[in-house]
Amino acid sequence: MKKGFHLGFILLLLCSLVLSACSNNTEAEGKNKDGKVVIDFQTFWGSETRRPVIEKIVDDFNKSQDEIEVKHTFVPWGDIWTKNTAAVAAGNPADVIVNDINTVAHRAENGQSEDLSQYIDEGIKDELYPNLWETVQYKDKFYGVPFTTDTRVLFYNKDAYKEAGLDPEQPPKTWKELEDHAKKLDVKKDGIYERIGFYPTWGSFGAGSWMANADDGKGFFEGNEMYINTPNKVEALKWVAGWHKRLGAKNVQAFQAEFGSGQTNPFISEKVAIWTDIASFYTQIRDTGKDMNFGIAPIPAFKEEGRNWNEGGGFVMEIPKGAKHPKEAATFIEYLASEKAQKYWAQKNYDNVANKKAAESVLKDFTGDEKLVYEQALKNLKDTRFHPAPIDYPDYASRVDPQLEAAITGKSTPEKALQKAENDVKKLKR
Amino acid sequence: MMNETVLKEQQSNAMPMPESYAPKKEIEREAAVSIPKAARKRKWRPGNSENLIGYLFISPWLLGLIFLTAGPMLFSLYVSFTDYNITSKMNFIGFDNYKRMFTMDDLFWTSLWNTLYFVLFSVPLTTAGAVFIAVLLNQKIPGMKIFRTIYYLPAVLSGIAVYFLWMQLLSPTTGLINTVLAWFGIQGPSWLFDPEWTKPALILMKLWSVGGGMLLYLARLQGVSNVLYEAADLDGANAFQKFWHITLPMLTPIIFFDIITSTIASFQIFQEAYVMTENGDGGPGGSLLFFNLHMWNKAFEVFDMGYASSMAWFLFVIIMVLTVFNLKFSKKWVHYDGGDNK
Repeated sequence: MKKGFHLGFILLLLCSLVLSACSNNTEAEGKNKDGKVVIDFQTFWGSETRRPVIEKIVDDFNKSQDEIEVKHTFVPWGDIWTKNTAAVAAGNPADVIVNDINTVAHRAENGQSEDLSQYIDEGIKDELYPNLWETVQYKDKFYGVPFTTDTRVLFYNKDAYKEAGLDPEQPPKTWKELEDHAKKLDVKKDGIYERIGFYPTWGSFGAGSWMANADDGKGFFEGNEMYINTPNKVEALKWVAGWHKRLGAKNVQAFQAEFGSGQTNPFISEKVAIWTDIASFYTQIRDTGKDMNFGIAPIPAFKEEGRNWNEGGGFVMEIPKGAKHPKEAATFIEYLASEKAQKYWAQKNYDNVANKKAAESVLKDFTGDEKLVYEQALKNLKDTRFHPAPIDYPDYASRVDPQLEAAITGKSTPEKALQKAENDVKKLKR
Repeated sequence: MMNETVLKEQQSNAMPMPESYAPKKEIEREAAVSIPKAARKRKWRPGNSENLIGYLFISPWLLGLIFLTAGPMLFSLYVSFTDYNITSKMNFIGFDNYKRMFTMDDLFWTSLWNTLYFVLFSVPLTTAGAVFIAVLLNQKIPGMKIFRTIYYLPAVLSGIAVYFLWMQLLSPTTGLINTVLAWFGIQGPSWLFDPEWTKPALILMKLWSVGGGMLLYLARLQGVSNVLYEAADLDGANAFQKFWHITLPMLTPIIFFDIITSTIASFQIFQEAYVMTENGDGGPGGSLLFFNLHMWNKAFEVFDMGYASSMAWFLFVIIMVLTVFNLKFSKKWVHYDGGDNK
C-alpha cells in the first residue's frame, strides 16, 4: 500500500514535469487576438535615452498597420548576438534583430540570416548611403538593411588651445600638425603630467585606424586581400609607437587606468586636450561637460595632400534565418529605414543614420553646437571606410592586436611586428 | 612566536575529544565485513521494487546527469572532431582542430602559459594563506568572532562587484594599494596595465578571498585534540615542532581537498580576465588571455565551436591527469586520523 503510494506520487511528479515542459506552445500561430501577425523585434537599446525612441518608432509603425504588430524585446548588449545564434540553431529566432554592420557577410555565409533581396526591393539602396549599402551585400544579394552608422572625428579643447598659445580656430590638419599641437598642449608639473595634449590610441581611433588612415583608407583587409605589412602601415605604426616612447609607459598606463573603467572621460575632465571619438560623443560633452568650449575637426590626414580617412561602424536590421514571418518582418525593416523613422532616431539620439534624406533634413532642424557637430559628421561620411572582417579570417584582430601592442610598447619593432602579424593571420585561414 | 601563543591557547582550551579521534578504523573494518554481503544480494536488480523507488527518487538527478551533463559532454567530444559552427556546418574533420591547436595557434600556447602561471602561483599561495590565517584565527582572544567574520567576508562578496572594487584598488596613481606603498617610499607598479604585473595583480586579488578555505581549516583546527599537544609538551617539543608535527599533519586532509578543488577552479579562470580587460581581449600584451578566455572567444566571437570544443577537451585531460596525480601522490603526505599507514 505504502509502496504503491510512493510510486504513484513519483510518477505524478514526473508527469507534471514532462507536461510543464510541453505546455509553452500557445503562441505557435504567431497571431494576436485581432488577427494581426506578431513580429518579435530584438534590440539592445534598453537605456533611458534609446528605449523610448525605438519604442515610439515601433508604436508609430503599429498604429499605421492593421496586419502586423511589432513587439519590441530588449536583450542586453552582451547577450543579444550569442542568444540569437543559439536561437537560430534551435529554430526559433526573433523576426527582426539589430546586428553589427561589419559582420553581415559572416552571418550570410554561415546561414544565420535571411537573404532580404527576396522580400525587399533593391531600390531601397538609393535612399541610403552607398558605403553603408556595401556592407550588407554578399554574393549579389543583401542580408541586412543599414540603420545607423558612426564616423570618427577630432574633438579639441579650445580653452586649452588658447592657454597654450595656439589658434583655437585652427585644428590640426595633418599628423605633423597634430603632433606639434599636442606637444604644446602637454602640461607637466614636477615630472608628472597633469594634462596630455593627445595620445593616438585613446578614444575610438586605435592604432589600426591610424594605419588605415595612412594607407589611403585601406584596412588590414580589402575583401580577403591582406594589407597588413605595407610600407605606409609600418610608418604609421612607427608614429604611434613614437608617442608611447615620448610620454613614457608609466604615464600612459597611469592615465589609461584613470579612465579605463569608463566612469570619467579624460577629454571632458580636461586631462586630455585633443580626443578622437564618434560624432555623437558630443552628447556626452553636452550632458556632463559644463559648457565646455570645444571644437570639432575631421581626423587629420597622413600627409598634406591626403584625405581625412576614418573608420565607420554601425548597425543593420536583419531577419535571422528561420524566422517565422519574414515577409512581415521585411515590411517593418523597410519602415525602419524610411525617412520618418530615421529622422526621429537621428533627432533624439544624435546618431548618423543610414537614410540620406533623413540625415539632411535633421541637420536643418539642429542649431548651435548640435548643428556644428552633425554637419561635420555628415561631411565625414565621404571619407568613412568600413572594414568588414574578412570571411576567411574572422578573428584576424586577435593576431594583429598583440603585435601592434608589442610594437607600440617597444617590445618589438614595427617592421618585425607587422611581419609576424601577417604570418600569424595567414595561419588562421581554414 | 605566534605559533607558540596559538598552541598555548589551545592547551588551556579543554575540548571534548573530537569524534574524528575515535578509532575509526575499527568501524570501517566492521563495515567492510558486514555490508558487502547484503549489497551483493541486492546488486543490479531493477525488478526489486525498493530499488525501483530508489532509482525513481534519484531520477531527477540521473536525468540531469544524462541529459544536461553527460549528453552535452559527449556531444562536445564529437564536435571537437568537426568544423561545427552552430548554424550551418558540422563536417567530420578528424584531428584537424587538435592539429591546428598545437601547431598553428600561438595564442593557444600563450593562453596555456598564462593559465599555468596563474595556477602555479595562486594555488600554493592561497592554500598557505588560508592555513596561516586559520591558525591565527584559532586563538582565544576577545573579539575573535569579529576577526573571523572580517576574514570570511570577502568569500561572501564575490563576483563582478569585487572585480570593479579591485580595479579601483589597483589603479596605478589613485588606487589605495599604490597609495599605501607610496607611504613607504615604494613606487607601485601599474598592476592591471603592465603586462608584467597583471597576473600577480589577479593572484593578489585571489589571496584576498581565502576566507572560504580558511573556514574549513579553522573547523578542522578546532577539532585537533589537546592530548596531542600535551604529549608533545611532555616530550619537550617547541612551538614550531608542534606546528610541524601535529597541526600541519592534522590539516593535511583539508589541504589535500583544498588543493584539488582550487587547482581545478584555477585552471578554469575566466570571469576575472573577461571583466577586468577591455572587450575581454586578454589585457595588455595578452597577459590575461587565459585558456578559457581564448576558448570563449573562439566559441562565441567567431563561432568556431569545433575548435573551442577541442580546447575544452584538452583542458579536461590536463585537469584529469593532474587530479589523478594528486590522488596518487596524496598517499605520501595526507594524514588520516586513526590510521597508522596514513
